Amino acid sequence: MDAIPKTIFIVDDSSFSRKIIHKHIAEKRPDWIISEISSGDEAIELVNSETPDYITMDINMPGVLGTDAAEKILAKHPAIRIVVFSANIQESMRSRAVEIGARFVAKPVTEKSILQAISYFSDGK
Amino acid sequence: MIDFSTDQLDALAEVFNIGAGRAASSLSEIVDSDVKLSVPRVEFFKSSEINASALNLTSDRIGAVRQHFSGSIEAEVMLLFTEERALNIVREMMGSDASIEELAEYEQEAMCELGNIILNACISAIADILGVTLDTTLPIYSVDSTELILSQIVSDAGQPVMLVLHINMTIEKHDSQGNLAFILSSTSLKELIVHIDRHIQGM
Repeated sequence: MDAIPKTIFIVDDSSFSRKIIHKHIAEKRPDWIISEISSGDEAIELVNSETPDYITMDINMPGVLGTDAAEKILAKHPAIRIVVFSANIQESMRSRAVEIGARFVAKPVTEKSILQAISYFSDGK
Repeated sequence: MIDFSTDQLDALAEVFNIGAGRAASSLSEIVDSDVKLSVPRVEFFKSSEINASALNLTSDRIGAVRQHFSGSIEAEVMLLFTEERALNIVREMMGSDASIEELAEYEQEAMCELGNIILNACISAIADILGVTLDTTLPIYSVDSTELILSQIVSDAGQPVMLVLHINMTIEKHDSQGNLAFILSSTSLKELIVHIDRHIQGM
């Protein structure tokens, strides 16, 4: 029997960023079901009805910050693996991501950074 | 206009140099090509002195991505680059199979994202070195005549002293160049110097 395909939310206010992340993930994991979401607020709502296995989360977005959204999501759904994917690479942001139980991966979105994210999603490493 | 000691100016240039280095590293990853940095030079201008030649801008039209950073230090930071080269970088980000229509559709957002990555890389390095946390607004991209963009920048900033970091980032593969510029109010400049002094003492 085929395994149930993994589901992933790409949360980023930039449609360009979502497109690039989507393209890279689809190339590496063509069986994953990918949804694009444009805000942290929307992601917080949607995880209750369509809980994904994984999330990539931008930080600086209109509305709630991605790190705050990730914290809320993980509080209710601790099994979801979240990668905070951000251009804001200050040490304080990296620490915040770790504190809330997520993994920090620095933008730009490249094959290398996507592989870091996928490695965390697949192995927790 | 503002008196700095040699040590302070050296430390400022070094901090910005590390920031620009991190920005160049990010840009290099995006375009998959070496990015060469010029030796950075920090200069201060009054608003009235800001023009294309002061910033070493030779093109009639430029693209600018601007972001406001706030916290211990308030700064308007921008990346200025020649417009016609920008689409090459967008193409690099999207993959060589991107169509002209896709490039046009995503140009605005792609340039925002490019500026976001480069400016955040630079500012994040500076924040970490100085031990401060800075918040940032979303990036704004505009493309227009060089003089118009510079006059908008000066008028939006109010009464600033403008700290300009002259640093050229040259992408070897594309023969493209960009400049980084920082605008700080005189109050924020004093704050920056307080942090720079702490940094010097801690070295």
